[in-house]
Amino acid sequence: MLIKPTAEDFQVVGFNLGRISTLVGIAGFVPLLWAIIGREWAPAFSFLLMIGLFLAMGTLGSRIKTPQHRLDWSHGMVVVALAWLLVPAFASIPLVLSGHYASVLDAGFDAMSGLSTTGLALVQDLDHLASSLNFWRHLLHFIGGQGIIIAALSIFAGGGAVTLYLGEARDERILPSVRSTARFIWAAALMHLGVGVIVLTFVAWQVLGFGFVRSLFHGLMVFFAAFDTGGFAAQSTNLGYYHSPIFEFVAAVLMVAGTMSFGVHYALWKRRYRSVTLNLETRTMLVTFGVTLLITIAGLAATGAFTDTLGLTRYGFFQLLSAHTGTGFATVPVTELAGWSGLAFAGMAIAMSLGGMGSSTAGGVKSLRVGITLRSIVTQVKQVLVPEGALVSRSYHQNGKVRLTPELAQAAMTVSLLYVALYLAGTAVALLYGYGLGEAFFESISAGANVGLSVGITDPTMPALLKLTYIGQMWLGRLEFVAVFALFGFVYSTWRGK
Amino acid sequence: MKRLALLVVMLSLTGAPAAFAQDGTVVDVAELLESPTAFVGEVTVVGELIGDYGFRSDSSMWTQLNGDSYVFDPILDDGALTGANVGVAVRMPAAIAGQLDPPGGYRVRGPVVEVTGIWKYHDPDRGGESYLDVIELIVVEPGRGLTEHPTYFVGAAGLVLIAYAVVMRRRRSWMAFGRAN
Repeated sequence: MLIKPTAEDFQVVGFNLGRISTLVGIAGFVPLLWAIIGREWAPAFSFLLMIGLFLAMGTLGSRIKTPQHRLDWSHGMVVVALAWLLVPAFASIPLVLSGHYASVLDAGFDAMSGLSTTGLALVQDLDHLASSLNFWRHLLHFIGGQGIIIAALSIFAGGGAVTLYLGEARDERILPSVRSTARFIWAAALMHLGVGVIVLTFVAWQVLGFGFVRSLFHGLMVFFAAFDTGGFAAQSTNLGYYHSPIFEFVAAVLMVAGTMSFGVHYALWKRRYRSVTLNLETRTMLVTFGVTLLITIAGLAATGAFTDTLGLTRYGFFQLLSAHTGTGFATVPVTELAGWSGLAFAGMAIAMSLGGMGSSTAGGVKSLRVGITLRSIVTQVKQVLVPEGALVSRSYHQNGKVRLTPELAQAAMTVSLLYVALYLAGTAVALLYGYGLGEAFFESISAGANVGLSVGITDPTMPALLKLTYIGQMWLGRLEFVAVFALFGFVYSTWRGK
Repeated sequence: MKRLALLVVMLSLTGAPAAFAQDGTVVDVAELLESPTAFVGEVTVVGELIGDYGFRSDSSMWTQLNGDSYVFDPILDDGALTGANVGVAVRMPAAIAGQLDPPGGYRVRGPVVEVTGIWKYHDPDRGGESYLDVIELIVVEPGRGLTEHPTYFVGAAGLVLIAYAVVMRRRRSWMAFGRAN
């Protein structure tokens, strides 16, 4: 029997949503300050409105009498799923008021894309967009990539914090408490922020020859998009704007750092290198990257676009890394990427769908699930081949030895299948509108796996239903289904429960 | 005026199909991107220099040239939204670039130039990069400032909401303080 949520349940949800809203509102002061310093008054006013709405929402939440009930599993999931709708809705206000979006839906699309670290964009005339708005788009990558909930937990974790943590698709507790884990994640991110921005700024200033202030701007933007595996860029030609192998290399290092699970970051921090090399995720990702890289480069060579090995390797490697890490940076125009057919297309699509490591900012099926699924299949085959009664080892390494139980394998396969269903659903909607199968499939994977590479479908003129589909895919893909399903269950039980 | 007339003539030519592209042909940036292999040798493009001027150690300057509708109808001048930007990288000797107005960006329409150069598609000498290597540059229109239109009501509404949030929270703190004493 379905149990109808009580007033207390709504209070718990509202109270916690209020806290998250307040936190994002406070974050909004950063682009506001940027706009004031840059004397960009129109964006400054729109940031004021956005901050006001976030804070007012937070105040309304805080006026709810502090709930007596602890945040339980379902509350946590519902809060996370709703927060990931509420934040992009309000965060899109400065975007829609900028005049660079054809509709509220388009601005909402970009806000969801930013927050979910996807990187697909419907902004028009990006090259004339105010720098404070551009900064806000990229800051959304950082807020979403590091986790809105993680930020909230770092500051005011209370009872039931673990459900919020898990709801945001993070299943790895690095330190004993969720709060200390959240703080480690932010500390690691801030350390990378410092180093990453300094190096990128230096390269832009000294190698690319930009002015210092503009170098700092590009350094910040590229850091947010690379480390949070986002894919937005400050200029319309994306990372191809910089025309520099050194700059691409620094971005690539940050992309890899961003796609690594924070568990691996912690192991590296503690100098447990053996733990990193034994890690199932690390090994799986290296294998899938190697295989898809070979496929992509072979396919690219067949297209004949590159006449030299260096160019072929540079572009093939970077684009494949961008796809596999879920970043979505492009060093070639959309029109050219759309022409990557055959094996190159297949390699990119497979890499995008697999994604990065778990408990990272990357999307997709995730290497851990791929590894568990493959290990499970191998174990089954071995079990059949060995003499009856013989035991086959059923374990893998993931920050220590973990027993590979049938339940674990089943869970990994279920989520993997859900991702496949998500990719197919987006493809089906695009097919309904007459897009080709290949491009529909590519774009759907890009949205569902939060990658952001586009072969041209994502465009302000695409049908509204397709925009909504991609928004839904980005939302589901980022939260890895569970929180969203819990929200649907909550709504359904409110309606039909007793 | 002469330059403007030249620009009009050039724009009228940009519709020429790629198949007829020959040395020095004026081409549209969108066409160049759509059919990059159709253009061999010298091409001429018209557009706005935008973003940054990157002066490199080899005495070259890299920037981006946009050939979209926003060049002549910027959004801040109530120009229509016509989609994403259409831009291509250009490289030129730093000496040519020294006299240019600042590149386009927010509240700035960069200089509109007509550049003639060699279209290098996945240039093997530069690690596979695609760009236009400029031989000649003519400024068609100088850069100019654009005026933003802030909506004061939006800012005022935001301030009211922030004030509401602050007052309500303070009131709550005072009430809690009152109860405690």
